[in-house]
Amino acid sequence: MKSHNPNLSASKSSSGREPEMIPQGIWSGTISFSLVAIPVQLVKAVDPGRVSFRMLHRDDYSPLQRRMFCPEEERIVAPDEIVKGYEIGPGKYIVMTDEELESVTPERSRTIEIIEFIDMKDVDPIYYEHPYYLVPLKGGEKAYRLLVEVLHRTNKAGLAKFVLAEREYLVAVESREGALALITLHYSEEILPDQDILPKGGKIETEEKSRMKNVIKKMMADFRPEKYADERREKILGLLKKKIKEKALVEAPEIGEEQGEGPADLIAALEESMRKVKKNR
Amino acid sequence: MAGGTIWKGHIHFGGANVPVKLHTAVREERIQFHLLHRRDHAKLRQQMICAYEKKLVPIEAQAKGLEVEEGKYIIVDPEELERTAPEGTRVIEVHEFVKAEEIDPIFLDRVYYLEPDAPAKGYNELVGALREIGVDGICTWTMRKRSYLGALETDGKILRLNTLRYADEVISVKSLELQKIPVSEKELKIGSDLINQLTGPFQPEQFENEHQKKLRHLIEKKARGEEIAILRPRRLKPTESDKLLQTLEASLKKVA
Amino acid sequence: MSRKVVEIAGKRLSLSNLEKDLYPSYGFTKARILEYYRRIAKFILPHLKNRALTLKRYPEGVEEDFFFEKRCPPHRPEWAKTAEIRRDDGERMTVCLVNNLETLIWVENLASLELHVPLARASSPETPDFMVFDLDPGERANILDCASVALILRDLLSGLGLKGHLKTSGKKGLHMYVPLNRKDTTFEDTKKFSKAVAGIMQKNYPDLVTARMAKEYRKSKVFINWAQNDSSKTMVCVYSLRAQEKPVVSFPLSWKELERLAGKGDPGRLRILHSEALRRAEDGGDLFREVLVKKQKLPHL
Repeated sequence: MKSHNPNLSASKSSSGREPEMIPQGIWSGTISFSLVAIPVQLVKAVDPGRVSFRMLHRDDYSPLQRRMFCPEEERIVAPDEIVKGYEIGPGKYIVMTDEELESVTPERSRTIEIIEFIDMKDVDPIYYEHPYYLVPLKGGEKAYRLLVEVLHRTNKAGLAKFVLAEREYLVAVESREGALALITLHYSEEILPDQDILPKGGKIETEEKSRMKNVIKKMMADFRPEKYADERREKILGLLKKKIKEKALVEAPEIGEEQGEGPADLIAALEESMRKVKKNR
Repeated sequence: MAGGTIWKGHIHFGGANVPVKLHTAVREERIQFHLLHRRDHAKLRQQMICAYEKKLVPIEAQAKGLEVEEGKYIIVDPEELERTAPEGTRVIEVHEFVKAEEIDPIFLDRVYYLEPDAPAKGYNELVGALREIGVDGICTWTMRKRSYLGALETDGKILRLNTLRYADEVISVKSLELQKIPVSEKELKIGSDLINQLTGPFQPEQFENEHQKKLRHLIEKKARGEEIAILRPRRLKPTESDKLLQTLEASLKKVA
Repeated sequence: MSRKVVEIAGKRLSLSNLEKDLYPSYGFTKARILEYYRRIAKFILPHLKNRALTLKRYPEGVEEDFFFEKRCPPHRPEWAKTAEIRRDDGERMTVCLVNNLETLIWVENLASLELHVPLARASSPETPDFMVFDLDPGERANILDCASVALILRDLLSGLGLKGHLKTSGKKGLHMYVPLNRKDTTFEDTKKFSKAVAGIMQKNYPDLVTARMAKEYRKSKVFINWAQNDSSKTMVCVYSLRAQEKPVVSFPLSWKELERLAGKGDPGRLRILHSEALRRAEDGGDLFREVLVKKQKLPHL
């Protein structure tokens, strides 16, 4: 993509990183197709099930927290001191507010407009990025149900664009088990070409291929994702149990043991009450 | 060009061993923003601090703990827990084959291209075999200390590895507690007709990230010191339930 | 091991391992555990309602390993209510809310013998509904020492206009709950207050009480664990079973009863078994109800 300002560069991220995910319940707006508009909220469809860890201080096992640090003033900054900036030159930033970001494409900041419908079979799986669910907001329940049912009946998905903050997503909206699922897609310019890795020469040994086909047919099964999940969980829990037996458990220290007694008024009142208690015993 | 080689391994099942190289298949273009300090525009860094003393803790002094009892932790190396195969085996073990269309897209995560590695054996044959039966191979492998579950798929003449999410990571639709609202057959018929009228082929090349271009212009405009008009996002009026049928009919008339 | 399918409020639940004895030296099967919770449900549910549940699971019984789970198990029924909470290090987590009988039974079917909940509700995690004094006896002290401390504490707080309610922990200690139930009371308030109280108690009864966690200070004293007043901490819920040798219960005690029993000198009288818990609750109602409804304000803060 060309830029008028050679200093404003797009950052390329390899797909080895976690994609930026839309936090739970932060987007609400309307989804529309032709003249029909349905108020909806976007929610998570995926919850990373990995066993969750806490960051601890290696020496005393106190828990750690993530904070933003200013290297100029050498201190932690509070959330209201934080702004978003875009680098236009070395060390030069332009700050953009959320309102300004919404002004970029205002017609798509609160609306998912389905402009056409496609057959999901036509979508190469390489385009899928991240799934979400849409849930209807008050008043939209019937129109939501209609859209779910007709998408299911016709076996189609809606194709739309929508904007959240500084990012615009190309999305497919489909019917899944009675709900609307919204899956963000990659733009075609983000799919890398594969011509350079194509095998040179198309020679195929038909006997080998037949042998493989026989083996494949013997190894056919139904796609059952719960089976793979259970196996992984068992393995992790087994490893954990072993570890707990071998290692010592560490305990996080308690806070504030060294700080003062407390507010003077309170201490005075407590001491007064204590005097009476002792007198009566 | 496909991304550079990030890993090498070999696909294994029933006596077949196909050496491959993994390449990234997707590169996301994004205007990156940085978090800045409002006052001096200094670029902020994410740091870990001690929750109690509020002091910075360097990486060497950080450890990952798993809470096994209230307030009691066991220090673990998460990669150790994730590993299923011993390090360095480089095997992509195929456990079974499933019909490609059975894989619900909600489970699909990330795609890698597979290039035949030298000596090139079995690659083209495997592509042909999978394509002719119309199946994907469900496999597991360990890469960079993490274990993965994935689907081995074909795409024209090449093989791809599509990592899969685990079932316990996908939220069930039933937990959304959606109401069952009856919709009339007439509404369903007109709705279906409308969708069919608006159906076209999937042509992703037609979609450009216009927003990104506009954002860039806006940033440059602000950089030049020009005013930016704050435009309110468009909000559509929701279609009332009792007006649904007539709205559908009006829509159909518009497109037919 | 037997299975059974039950229907509660129109929801179907498959119960498993009903014949498994989870308290082997006493003899108490999973079926009996489920029965206990079914009967205590109307008393325990208001205290669990809308609170992020921490499960302590003993699938092989109280003598074997337990699993500690804060996240709601992913393979949950579609009707199990959950909430999204943010941990203090910023990580998000989905937790179970036990708001009805069917969810309670589902959780118990997972052998979560003990139910632990935070002092604040999931929708408002920084504002506790009560302040707690967790009285924990050192090695050489016992529940009777805790009882003495509790009685002094009661009078001390009464002098400041505050009323508290007591329950057994089900293990060796006692828990005193001071109901607050005010929207603007924060953990910072309750922590500051309870720390000051613990300090005064230690100062005036140094041989009986300590406010310090380190084990060397606690041996023959009662430790007032004021630090439990924190958004990241949980307490065992009233009426929950404990995974002790016997199925004892964290049960409420009236002050009169405490005075009477403490005087008798028998720590065993302060251990309430499942059968006694059921009988007393069914006869006398929820002795801990005030903890959920009484409004009090912490003075002098």
